[in-house]
Formats: sequence, structure tokens, C-alpha cells
Amino acid sequence: MKLSVDTAFSKYGDRVFAAAFSVCRNQADADDVVQETFIKYYKLDQEYESEIHLKAWLLRVAINRARDIISSSWHRKQVEWQEYMNDLTFEEPEDSRLFESVMQLPDKYRVVIHLFYYEGYTIGEIARILKCREGTVKSQLSRGRKLLKNMLMEEWDDDE
Amino acid sequence: MTNKTTNKTINKERYQRTFSALHTSCGMEEIMMEASERMETSESMKAKGKKEKAYIPKWVAACVALGLVFVSSTVVYAADIGGIQRNIQIWLHGDLTDAVLDIQNGQYTLTYEDEDGNRQERGGGGIAFGPDGKERELTEAEIMEHLDEPEVRHKEDGTVWVYYHSQKLEITDKFDEDGICYVHLKDGKDNWYMTIKYHDGVAMSPHGYIDPETFD
Repeated sequence: MKLSVDTAFSKYGDRVFAAAFSVCRNQADADDVVQETFIKYYKLDQEYESEIHLKAWLLRVAINRARDIISSSWHRKQVEWQEYMNDLTFEEPEDSRLFESVMQLPDKYRVVIHLFYYEGYTIGEIARILKCREGTVKSQLSRGRKLLKNMLMEEWDDDE
Repeated sequence: MTNKTTNKTINKERYQRTFSALHTSCGMEEIMMEASERMETSESMKAKGKKEKAYIPKWVAACVALGLVFVSSTVVYAADIGGIQRNIQIWLHGDLTDAVLDIQNGQYTLTYEDEDGNRQERGGGGIAFGPDGKERELTEAEIMEHLDEPEVRHKEDGTVWVYYHSQKLEITDKFDEDGICYVHLKDGKDNWYMTIKYHDGVAMSPHGYIDPETFD
């Protein structure tokens, strides 16, 4: 199966953006990643087993591209996440603290945390998306959680 | 459910509520819709056996340009049609070299003679986004800043070199068992921390080494 670009974008555009933002912490970069991801989707003559497969593919492409961007020295010239945060509307006051805490996590923990808590992927699924070992994901998830707990205290429940 | 499972569910809900505040920029959906319609028209023309046009949707062109940001490439020298042309001196492969820098619409062409006296050209460019999220061309200062960054060169004889201003450093034997080499360059106040993968990419930052797992 393959969805049209506009349908795929309507369904997954914001998710791709959120995943990209969790890596590069920059609105403009994340927008670039979204565009490039959907261009690749359009250009690649590939069938997907299911929408689950399609979504995982989009997220993998976006995360890899976002990682490329943050490894570029060009990245440092862009607007920081703190400025973007001022434009966001959070439902609850504590949400801004969670956002802030996640943004302060090291890069490698941030993406794993995002895929686990936002996308609801299991450790095995995250390992396949990121093309790394399950043990690596498990330890990064555990360290990320501990850091979040230390920063958020009672606003983050101990779930390990 | 156990407490930990319950806590995990609560944390997921908090996280999803928080990050659902993130959306692609305004206008992106319209661009995608427009592109999609154009692509469908193009596919339809192909299906009807009409001569295929080399058509690139607007948003594809914009993104291809982004993808070219500072990727050096050989380019055709363009006649000066009102852009900026400068005779500059630039560090190339460790030597201060006379070159002509031509900037047109955020794209640059650098023309110089190599050590054998052959004329060489390299170029690149692209667009950047301002604080308001709007696209803009790269400025001359930004292009100059890029041209002043360290460079890694994999030579045909198999050696690998880092060049930064007048400094040349051979790092062929400095790669670890994973094919990674870390280089700290310092020139006056300028600092560069480079993470170099053997034939597989370079990442650099003025603040610290970038984790090799985070880039390809």
C-alpha cells in the first residue's frame, strides 16, 4: 500500500515534525526535515506492508535526516528551542516543564524517550527504527527516564 | 495494572499531551496539497502518453536547494548579472590562496588555481530561515564563514588530512577500531571539535565533540 503524499502528510506530518524536533530542537530544521521526508516518500517507488510500516519508515527517515542536520555546523546558527517554546500553547502548566526537561536531555536519550512515550513504540520497535541494539535502547531509555525524574520530581512518575 | 504500568500510562499521557502542541509551520499543509495536485497532474500526463516534462514541483525545488546547503560541488561559472563578486584570499588545503568568490542569490562559486596551476571551481549555497521562519538567501558573511571552516580530505593515496587555516594534520593512523577520529582544532579564539568517520562523514561543533552515533 502507499498513501498519496497529501494523505500521508495529513496523517503523519505533525508526528514527523515532532520526531524531528525532538532530535534537532529547532522549528526551521524540523520543517526542513518534514519536507525532505515527504519528498523522499514521494520519490521512492516503494510499497508499504501497512500504515504501521509506513509511519515507522517516515519516522526513521526523519530522525536520520534530523541527526544529519544537528551534526552540521550550520545548525548552530538557527533559533533555539527556548524561543520556539514561547510560541507553543500547552494545555497544562506542567506541560511546559516537561517540554523544557525533555529538550535538556542529551540527544541520544531524547529521541528514544520520544519514540517510547509519544509514539508508544516498544523497545524492540525503537531498536528497529533506529537500527541499533535493543540493549542500547533499553539503557538510553532508562538513563533518560532517570534524568527526567530528577528534573521533574513529582511531576514525573517513577515507571521503571 | 501494577503501579509501574499505571505510572507509565500516566507519563505517556502527559508526554503526548505536551508534544501534541507541536505542529508543522503554517502554510506547510497548503504547500503539500499544491504539490500533491501537481504531481498527480504530472502522473496523469505520463499515463496518457504525453511527452514527459522535466517538472519539479515548487516545494521540491525549495527542498533540493536546502539539501544543497554547503555541499561543495563543481558548478558552471555564471556570468556576473548583478551579484557580488570579490577577489579574496582563502585558506584552501593549508595554503592561503587567491580566489574569486561570486555570489548570486545565495549561491556561491569559488574559482581558484590549484597547486598545479589548474583552474578549479567549487560551489554551493542554499537558503536559511530567519527567526520569523521565513526563507532567506544566505548572506555573504554566512558564506564566508562557511568557507572558513575546517575541511577533511581523503586523498587518492589513502591518507586522510584535516585542513584548517594554515594547519595541516594527517590523521590517517588516528582512527580508532570503529573508524572514528576526534580532532580538536584551535586557532586563536576559534575552537573546532571534529568527529570524523573514515570515509563516512564529518560533524563539527565549536562547543564539543558530536556523538558519532548521531550522524551518518
